[in-house]
Amino acid sequence: MTALTDLSTVGTSIERAHGLPNAHYIDPAVFEEEKHALLLSQWVGLAVAADLPEPGDAKPLEFLGMPLLLLRDKDGDVRVFENICRHRGMILVNAPRKIEGAIRCPYHSWCYSTKGALVSTPHVGGPGHNTHEAIRRDELGLSEIRSHIWRDVVWINVSGDAPAFEEAHADLLRRWADFEQPLHHGGADSTFSLAVATNWKLAVENYCESYHLPWVHPGLNSYSRLEDHYHIERPGEYSGQGTMVYRQLSDKTGATFPDFPEVGSKWNEQAEYVSVYPNVLLGVHRDHAFAVLLAPQGPERTLEHVHLYYAAADTDGGLRARNTQLWRAVFEEDICVVEGMQRGRHAPGFDGGRFSPVMDSPTHCFHDWVAGRIEAHRERARAAE
Amino acid sequence: MSDLDAAMIRAHAAGDRAALIRLYEQAADGAADLDAACFYLTHAYIFALEAGVPEARVLHARLVAQGREA
Repeated sequence: MTALTDLSTVGTSIERAHGLPNAHYIDPAVFEEEKHALLLSQWVGLAVAADLPEPGDAKPLEFLGMPLLLLRDKDGDVRVFENICRHRGMILVNAPRKIEGAIRCPYHSWCYSTKGALVSTPHVGGPGHNTHEAIRRDELGLSEIRSHIWRDVVWINVSGDAPAFEEAHADLLRRWADFEQPLHHGGADSTFSLAVATNWKLAVENYCESYHLPWVHPGLNSYSRLEDHYHIERPGEYSGQGTMVYRQLSDKTGATFPDFPEVGSKWNEQAEYVSVYPNVLLGVHRDHAFAVLLAPQGPERTLEHVHLYYAAADTDGGLRARNTQLWRAVFEEDICVVEGMQRGRHAPGFDGGRFSPVMDSPTHCFHDWVAGRIEAHRERARAAE
Repeated sequence: MSDLDAAMIRAHAAGDRAALIRLYEQAADGAADLDAACFYLTHAYIFALEAGVPEARVLHARLVAQGREA
């Protein structure tokens, strides 16, 4: 089978490399290929655990067209299931709600526990007969998707065969060990979503690099100059940028958000922003953190779900609102560039572009990961023919 | 239509699970034969199971006693 695109120039040295070809941003066939090579086979960010504050809380979600159910079980563990009944494939939960006892399918009322066990099959053996030897309940629990919680993000591995999360992201876990502390979601005023007319990878690429900061975020640049930033690159896992001049937000009285306890003086003015491949953008500071989950909606549409976190549950509401507004403004400033690059990908003469060997290495690191994963996926497909 | 049927329809329309549990159990207790009783009892049990109320355990035990539930 002929490869959909030629990636031979992507993984070469940054001085000579080209970016990914246009088809990786606009072609539905390549989007489908990437779905398997880059998303379903990896640990992807689906949601945040803060969406489910209490046992029994359930939230239906779609990811890449798959109906999923995010659920906090009776023991408090967050689980992800396919949101369908094992009987006739009916959608089980249509809107966020509390599961008080069992999940009852609205079609024939098969019931599941919050841990996914099939607990009743009414009339399955005829009216008033709720068992049948052919219907083995222990084999017909909800299909559970492998999941892991880190930094409140619910990561899922749909294929089920990625290395354990702690192994896949061991380096980043070590890097940010200082921040391995309880995170408190800021609540309703600390989350927002942006619908962006772009391929999800352009959002990753833009987040990776600091090259654009003085041009696109002049306000940010007033306190965070280009030369105060450094690259972060871990080939195959993540890339991004750090700053050495983070300044805390304060109110009129000079009050700031509380620091994460014992985070260390290293982080007094340092902050880091990392794209965790494939689709989670994280930021850490001494006094707050955020997670941006990218939900690809198709080759040219992406939803960005932003969540802000603090070191304490009772932070000041006014300061929190200002911080949300600050980050919203930054992410909105990025929309015009990622949408502009997306439109640019329809120029037939564009060859994927070139990279600044000095400024673009975190972006090239991401392209190299994409190309490598796709080449490996194609190789497996060829071997299976 | 009996009063019980009408009450069941009203409870369904209102999504009143507590009433559904009570009415289906009542229907089971007044049923003419075992199959009909277990049919109604099943409905009472399922609504109780969904609601997570203690009655579920009792209804489950009644069905198990008749060999109708695992």
